[in-house]
Amino acid sequence: MLAEKITSVCSCLLCSPSFRLTESMNICFNILNGISRRAVLATFAVLAVVPGMVSAEGTIEEYGGIAIVVHKDTAVSNLSMSELRNIFLANQQFWSNRARIILLIRAPQSDERDYVLNTIYQMDEAQFRQYWIAKMFRAEVPRGPKIVFSTDMTRDLVVAIPGSISFIRADQVSDAVKVVRVDGKLPSDEGYPLK
Amino acid sequence: MLSACKQGPKIIKMNNRILKASLVLLGTLNVAVPAVNAQDYEEIISSGTGTAGPEFNFMGFGDISYISRDGNNNDGFVIGQAVAHLSAYLGDSLGVFAEVSATGKDSEYSMEVERMIVKYDFSDQLKVSAGRYHTPIGYWNSAFHHGAWLQTTISRPEMVKFGSKILPIHFVGVLAEGTFQNNSLGLSYRAGFGNGRHANIGRAGDAGDINGDKAWMAQLQIAPDGSYGLAAGIGFYSDEVTPGDRPPVKESTVSAFAAWTRESPEIILEYLFSDHESVVDSSDSGDVSAWYAQFGYRLKGDRNMWKPYARFEDTDVDNTDPLLFDQALDYDARILGVRWDFNPYAAMKFEYRNEEFDNAGRENNFRVQLSFVLTKL
Repeated sequence: MLAEKITSVCSCLLCSPSFRLTESMNICFNILNGISRRAVLATFAVLAVVPGMVSAEGTIEEYGGIAIVVHKDTAVSNLSMSELRNIFLANQQFWSNRARIILLIRAPQSDERDYVLNTIYQMDEAQFRQYWIAKMFRAEVPRGPKIVFSTDMTRDLVVAIPGSISFIRADQVSDAVKVVRVDGKLPSDEGYPLK
Repeated sequence: MLSACKQGPKIIKMNNRILKASLVLLGTLNVAVPAVNAQDYEEIISSGTGTAGPEFNFMGFGDISYISRDGNNNDGFVIGQAVAHLSAYLGDSLGVFAEVSATGKDSEYSMEVERMIVKYDFSDQLKVSAGRYHTPIGYWNSAFHHGAWLQTTISRPEMVKFGSKILPIHFVGVLAEGTFQNNSLGLSYRAGFGNGRHANIGRAGDAGDINGDKAWMAQLQIAPDGSYGLAAGIGFYSDEVTPGDRPPVKESTVSAFAAWTRESPEIILEYLFSDHESVVDSSDSGDVSAWYAQFGYRLKGDRNMWKPYARFEDTDVDNTDPLLFDQALDYDARILGVRWDFNPYAAMKFEYRNEEFDNAGRENNFRVQLSFVLTKL
């Protein structure tokens, strides 16, 4: 009976047009690669009833867009879209108080990364990779951006690293980080450019 | 997902044994995933806050080519340059970058310290460094240089080729660079001062300036906010060159470039004009002009691994040029090729070249190259 109930939940989630795999489920897929399809689906079914592990997700836009977050002590409250692009391209590497900017980027296969590559970088994955390799080759930066693997990790590292900047879904912002206005607008405002 | 939906009735019939196995796997996940993340947290926080000491980053480039030329008996495979990069932050603002290459010659490999740069970043507006550089003249010399995988084509344009005498490929000295604040043009500058060319004019003055008359250079570049992907610049280089077998020559070079760096299309235009005048007799003078125009287009959709390209090149050296008249550097070429990015870190390139060296008649050659990059990204 329990199995039927769980698999029914799984089936409903899988049938929902707005269903997206979270990072937890992506990890499951990778680790479970090679194990039978039934076992994989059953694992997802179990995950589906564990609060906080899996959620049925919509698009970035449906969740209010992407919020640009910085360390609380960073002396910035507003960035224009072109300033934001220059920071994410590492053309600007220092804040106005001369603190170095630490750029945190989500690992591939996250909706947040896809959105930022599309809107801020205007690149695909291959172009993004080549851009950073060329940047390092020209000795303009000694390393690429730091890679983070989840929203929680992004928030925690922005809190822990002075000068850091990253992005998370607007509905996942917490008080521990500072949300930066983009072109004078917050994610909740009409006309916010990242939603 | 749809196929999963179609299998709904089958899933309902799943037995408890599979469910138990799934719970075991879930338990494994709950232990393994946080352990990996904790390590990542620690590494990123310590490097981001500068408490981890120097953080080293390695990157490598390499290529292997097959070359077939008209009437040439030495056709065959060629190992290109193997290049290793090492970079590190030695603190919040001090960085070190080193580049070493191994180049295959007839009977040996030659090792070379291509670049060795120690840079202090005061701000985005001022970064000061010392060391050995790719001379910041024009575009290609500093944008691609040894990175065969980075460049669309198999080889560099002739004017910036390995050991080129048209322009000083490397430069040893100090360099200041930065971007001007709050400008929508994205205006940036580079200004350098250091040793000029060696007596062997294809090399930099690695062990001091040969004649005490230092070289200097300046470059201005724009990358407008409103035209994302566009870069254009002008540069100037001045030196007194003392070739081993003839009187010293004053060298003044101006360069200009424009590059549209988005891949569909890719357009790179570069022009260089160099004036040479004998220090002993000012009437003994001559010019060099060189240019290339490269066009590429990354195909869209399922074919985006393919990028056809073409390049046209021309180099013209005056017969009266006191520095280069006898170096047989006149050149023109038409190049057609296609790049195939079959792997995120490796590419195959297929190229047909129709070239003429020193007005000695046109020749054809066909090249295939496998190039790759080694990096963590």
